Amino acid sequence: MDQAAILDHQFRVAAYVVTWAIQLSYLAWLGYRWRVQKGKKQRS
Amino acid sequence: MKKLLIGLYAGITILLMIWGYYQAIYVAPNDAMQGEIFRIIYYHVPSAAVAFVFFAISLAGSIGFLAYRQNAPNKAQIADAWALAGAEVGVVFCTVVLITGPLWGRRAWGIWWTWDARLTTTLVLWLIYVSYLLLRRFAAGPQMQTLAAVLGIFGALDVPIVYMSNRWWRTQHPAPVFGGGQGSGMDPSMLPAFFWNMGAWFAWGMFILILRFVLERQHQRIAAAEAQAALEA
Repeated sequence: MDQAAILDHQFRVAAYVVTWAIQLSYLAWLGYRWRVQKGKKQRS
Repeated sequence: MKKLLIGLYAGITILLMIWGYYQAIYVAPNDAMQGEIFRIIYYHVPSAAVAFVFFAISLAGSIGFLAYRQNAPNKAQIADAWALAGAEVGVVFCTVVLITGPLWGRRAWGIWWTWDARLTTTLVLWLIYVSYLLLRRFAAGPQMQTLAAVLGIFGALDVPIVYMSNRWWRTQHPAPVFGGGQGSGMDPSMLPAFFWNMGAWFAWGMFILILRFVLERQHQRIAAAEAQAALEA
């Protein structure tokens, strides 16, 4: 593998990892909001 | 039954994501000119398409809210929940577009960013919807939803401009791959990977969109109950 191919690979991996990090972080945040709201609902 | 259906949908979505990844990495060939970096397109373009559709849902919700707010308050609240869910999930996908694009650009063009028509209009679109979310988060009072609906409608006007930008102005961003006239298109060997990922990201997007909609409806019910309790106290 030449240097350009290695860099291409690293950038491609970075793009995929960032995509999943954003999507899963958002899903986790929704889950957290869900739990908070469930607690509020039970109290009210 | 409801839980079973949700589980089934989530399972199908996960399988689609795995299959899409497999297609993008192991089945589709490297691009003859760009090599492996081209594979970013399998995440970048579907994310842009999903963002556009969700901003359209937000537009429909905003129009619905303005149309129903006087005569059908419950329908207006449902429309408002769709408007918020569409905008928020749209921003998530648009963020992916704005990060994966420069990662590709750094290798393909040698630069992270340029003020090209497509990039600039996409950034403006993202900023409009982030300001929409900030308005919803920090503004208070009965006019907040109306103001947000108006901003949501204006924000959506940027979507066709973003879509047409690399047709109207030929600057740095590549010409459209699909519907770009003569010479455009994708090698047939790459199409399955592209369409599987398009399907997978739409399935994933719909999953979190519906989740966000349900969450907002719950929030509206709690807020209404609290307001009612405060009135009765």
